[in-house]
Amino acid sequence: MLSIFCYIKEFLRPEWWKKFLFVKTPPLVKPDYFRDYPHLTGNECTHELRCMMICPSPGAIEILKNEDGKWAPVIYKGHCIRCGLCVEACPDNVLASGRILEQNETDNTSFLASYYINVNDALCMKCGNCSVACPINKEIDPQLAYNATSSSNNVIMRVKGSKLTIMHPEKCTGCKTCEKTCPNNAITVARVIEGDQDDD
Amino acid sequence: MGIIQSIKNKVRQRSIHVCYVNVGSCNGCDIEILACLSPRYDIEQYGIYVHNNPREADILLITGAFCEQWEDKLADLWEMIPEPKAAITIGNCPVSGCTFNRRGSFVNPPVSKHIPVAASIPGCPPRPTEIIETILQLAPLVFKDYEEKK
Repeated sequence: MLSIFCYIKEFLRPEWWKKFLFVKTPPLVKPDYFRDYPHLTGNECTHELRCMMICPSPGAIEILKNEDGKWAPVIYKGHCIRCGLCVEACPDNVLASGRILEQNETDNTSFLASYYINVNDALCMKCGNCSVACPINKEIDPQLAYNATSSSNNVIMRVKGSKLTIMHPEKCTGCKTCEKTCPNNAITVARVIEGDQDDD
Repeated sequence: MGIIQSIKNKVRQRSIHVCYVNVGSCNGCDIEILACLSPRYDIEQYGIYVHNNPREADILLITGAFCEQWEDKLADLWEMIPEPKAAITIGNCPVSGCTFNRRGSFVNPPVSKHIPVAASIPGCPPRPTEIIETILQLAPLVFKDYEEKK
C-alpha cells in the first residue's frame, strides 16, 4: 500500500514528467577552446601570403581586398579543414582560432619562413622573364625590362654576364611568379617553413 | 490544417529515421556519426534512429568525395527512400572534394551534382554537435505538412 503511494508521489513530480517527455542532456555547445574556422582579429594583413602557402587544402584560403581596399584573408567553408596552420604561420596574427595564439605565446613557438631560389643553368636560356616578372624586382628597379640586363645590383636576380645571377635571395617573398613565367621550368623556388621554439 | 495535422507535425519532428552512406571518404566523418550514437551525445533522445536500410529512412547522410563507382548506385539508393526524404552531406568532401580533389584522383564532387542535397555540414570532420543540430533543424522543414504538399 505504501509503495503505491510512493509511486504516485513520484509520478506527480513535474521534474519526472519533464525528464520523461523532453531531452535529458542539454543541447551540446562547442567549447570556447574549440579550434573552429579562423576568424579575423582586426590586425592589418600585410599580404605576405604565408597562410596561403602553408594551407594543405586546395582552395581553402584566399587573400582578397575587402570593401575598404585592404587585404584580408577569406576562409572558404567546405574547403577548410580547420588545421589551424594559417593561424600559426601568420606573422601579424591576423587570424585567430581556438587557443592557438595563446598556446604559441606560452610556448614561445613560431614558424620561420625562408625561400630558396634554384636555377638549373643547363635549362636556363637567359631570357630574363623571371627577373622582369618578379614583383620585388619591379619595386626596386622599375627600369628593369627586356632581357633583364639593367645595371642595378639591388634586385633579387638579373642576367649578368650572360648568366642568370641570384644577387639578393633574402629579399624573395616566395610568390613563385618566376616559376610560372619561366618557359623552360629552369627556375624553382623552395619554400621552407621551420618550427622554432625559444628556450628562454 | 486541423489539430490532428499539428499533432502529426509534432510527432514527426521526434521521429527521424536516418541512413548513412559512405561514397568514398577517409572514414573520419563516419567515426563522427558513430560518436553521435554514443552516450555522450545520445541521438535517440532527440528521436533520431539509425537504420542502415534506405527503405526505412527519411534522411540520408552522405560522407565522402563521390568515387566514380557510385555514379548509378547513389541515384538508385536515393530512389529507394520513401517520401518525404532529404539528403544531408557531412564533411568537406561532398562539397569540394577537399584534399582528395587533386589531379589524378578519381573523385567527382560535389555530391549535389548527382542527387538533390538539402543541407551540407562543412568541417573535416564536423563535430557531432554540428551534425545533430543540422538534422534537428532540417527535419521540421522537410516533414511539416507533408500530406498537404503532395
